[in-house]
Amino acid sequence: MKSLWNRIYTFRAVWLAIALIFLFALPSFLSLGHTSLVVEMLILAVAACGLNLIMGYAGMVSFGPAGLYAVGAYTTALLIVKANVPFGLAIMAGPVAAAIIGFLVGWFCVRLTHVYFALLTLAFSQIIHTIIFQWYSFTGGDNGIVGIRVPDYIASINHYYYFTLALTVVCLALMWMIGNSSFGKTLQAIRENPERAEFIGIHVRIYQLAAFVLSSFFLGAAGSLFCGFNRNVFPVYAHWIKGADIIVVCLLGGMYKFLGPFLGSILYITLDKVTVSFTEYWPLVLGLIIVLLVLFLRGGIAGFFTEKFSATTIRGSREER
Amino acid sequence: MVIENLIRQFLSGLSVGMVIFIIAVGLSLIFGTLKILNLAHGSIYMLGAFLCYWLTSTFSTAPGIFWWALILAPIGAALFGGVIEIVLLRRIYGWHMMYQWILTFGLVLFVGDLCKLIWGVGYHMVSPPWPFKGSVNVLGVFFPSYNLFVMVLGPIIFCGLWALLRYTTLGKIIRSATYNPEMVNALGVNVPLVYTSVFMLGCWLAGLGGSLMAAMSAVTLGMDASIIIECFIIVVIGGLGSTLGAFLGAIIFGLAYTLGIVVFPGVAIGIGFIIMAIILIIRPWGLMGRPE
Amino acid sequence: MILEVEGLTKSFGGLMAVNKVDLQIEDRELSSIIGPNGAGKTTLFNLLSGKLRPSSGRVIFKGEEISKLSPREICLKGIGRSFQRVNIFPRLSTFDNVQIAVLSEQKKTRNLFIPVRNMVREKTKEILESVMLADKEEVLAGLLSHGDQKRLELGIALATQPKLLLLDEPTAGMSPEETKKTTELIQEIVQDQGLTLILIEHDMSVVFRISEKIRVMHMGRMIAEGKPEEVKANNEVQKIYIGEEA
Repeated sequence: MKSLWNRIYTFRAVWLAIALIFLFALPSFLSLGHTSLVVEMLILAVAACGLNLIMGYAGMVSFGPAGLYAVGAYTTALLIVKANVPFGLAIMAGPVAAAIIGFLVGWFCVRLTHVYFALLTLAFSQIIHTIIFQWYSFTGGDNGIVGIRVPDYIASINHYYYFTLALTVVCLALMWMIGNSSFGKTLQAIRENPERAEFIGIHVRIYQLAAFVLSSFFLGAAGSLFCGFNRNVFPVYAHWIKGADIIVVCLLGGMYKFLGPFLGSILYITLDKVTVSFTEYWPLVLGLIIVLLVLFLRGGIAGFFTEKFSATTIRGSREER
Repeated sequence: MVIENLIRQFLSGLSVGMVIFIIAVGLSLIFGTLKILNLAHGSIYMLGAFLCYWLTSTFSTAPGIFWWALILAPIGAALFGGVIEIVLLRRIYGWHMMYQWILTFGLVLFVGDLCKLIWGVGYHMVSPPWPFKGSVNVLGVFFPSYNLFVMVLGPIIFCGLWALLRYTTLGKIIRSATYNPEMVNALGVNVPLVYTSVFMLGCWLAGLGGSLMAAMSAVTLGMDASIIIECFIIVVIGGLGSTLGAFLGAIIFGLAYTLGIVVFPGVAIGIGFIIMAIILIIRPWGLMGRPE
Repeated sequence: MILEVEGLTKSFGGLMAVNKVDLQIEDRELSSIIGPNGAGKTTLFNLLSGKLRPSSGRVIFKGEEISKLSPREICLKGIGRSFQRVNIFPRLSTFDNVQIAVLSEQKKTRNLFIPVRNMVREKTKEILESVMLADKEEVLAGLLSHGDQKRLELGIALATQPKLLLLDEPTAGMSPEETKKTTELIQEIVQDQGLTLILIEHDMSVVFRISEKIRVMHMGRMIAEGKPEEVKANNEVQKIYIGEEA
């Protein structure tokens, strides 16, 4: 068993190449509808991996990723619609704006821990939602911003797919590097034992803030990508219920492995669309599935597999707190 | 005119605040003792509201049906809560907060859609019961007497809970279990039973709030999502786990919201979150909570 | 004098956990602090390492007052500390546990893009060898045996290159054999690197083996101080330890 996983792992560069080729070739044999789904999966994966920077690596539980995601989406939308900024710039501005807001929000949030941290992220997310919702003259309020124009060369679903794929690969590669860097290791140490981290000279709060800002950046990037995909943005993107999607994916994919959120995204969107297609009462089914998944698949999908194959993973009590 | 408006909003704030208090104190109790932030608390509230609506509309000719519903619907909510606690929540005590959040989120989806399955997507109203059908003149303003009833009921429930926690054996057990469940267990108390009872009490309160709200506001899908956030706000202001805190928090929130709408209509919608953020920033454990 | 403590006091409500303690620690001194449970020894360490703020009194390290500094700042000044209850990074590997401390000491934790796998490997391995954990590099720290975890504690503290080492019951819970092994280890490292050591211990064999000087705490006060034989013979100390073997 262990050797099987080890063998897979050793050749992971090969697997990665194969996966990329597969993803590249997808539009050729998928319908437009399905290709569209994969775009959603990729975007959600970026968001969930972004969230994972603070949740899985730094151990900071956030209830409010939606707010930063919406900042990215709305920044891109507003720049295109109100200021006629070229699409490329607008897409890049989204994550930057989200990172800035993330800095402001994070500065207050990292002074707290555990449930209080989580609740403050929720409060800020809802404040962002309220601002977007109420500032009718600027953001269109409840009507959202519709009819966002996207350059012709990526207007078609397939082309936008490649565009998204490229940016997703870039984002995931960046996050991978960050996760494997000394900064990433420091975050993990902070997660494991913030007190001890202080005692070995690490300024815990600054690292947590930095992680929060980076996480916001990628959440905003996902929001911007979605803005271009959906061509519309709505205040609901900032609502905590939407944020729950990102959290569920991050959690169920497996917080402690890098690929976890990516797998989770595939699973979640698939589940979502499959249930929608065969029943009107999809929240019922989805809710039930989520409950079952949490009860029985606590390490997430990625955790589930590596636990099966690895002899040295800790389960149980340490993971519970 | 302005004065009248303010008075009306003031009274409105108090009455809405009292209903939300009843719901929020359930959440606070559950968090204080079981250490779970139950996202599905709003769903139980909605369930209570729908049960109340269902009873009053099905048996509309029975005399005093609303009062019957007011008794039965919360019990129904409590029983439903009891089942959830025994079947699901017991397994996740002590788990990482995120898993609890997501599991209860799954319940939100489930229960919300269950209500849709049973009662459809309509917008339902329940009329206030006799003897509170009309309006009375309060401080020069005409105000629904039902809302006054609710305003009075709030403090009564508060006193009841306070007395329960302070003076009864069960209350003392609950308070001890909040601080030290292992010790309480070692003393021979059936801690799981205590947990179930507390959860059912919380759900009873949510169901009661829902039933009361049914005659004040509409019964419809989506009421779960809005109320749960308001509960969080109140519980943060008052302090997680504090009964008095929930009471004060509800009053503060209710008044801030209704008066805020008159003064700063644009901001008022978000006033709750702003207060919540401010409290978390300067005094995270709330008005009545204790710093850890 | 590397460490001076003047009138250090810490009270919690009415309880004086540490009561007007004075200390003068010479450079490279090897000393122990002993005393019954609740005497205030760990609280004293908490005050020295910045985990707690003194209610009154001063701590001066290498001529600089550090009484009000944070644990992080004190670590950077050169005081390293291990904990009574194992305080490691459980889900990181043994290697990672030490590596992160080395990275922190060398100010290399800010890097976002270089794979951490390849950073400071030699130094980390060196430290792991010195605490006899080189063969357990890949094991998750939470899965180590108790004795190994205590040595990892030591390793992490050492990795921050301290000048003054505060070890809180480093052999607690160890078998006599492991205790002997670990004690020799500590002696070797401390002498090799010219560190100043203050040890909190209950195991008297360790105390008498390592210490040049012993200090005794009781109810928050420092009640005796001196060479091991002196302290052994001290009547007051014997009274406190009635029933215990010295």
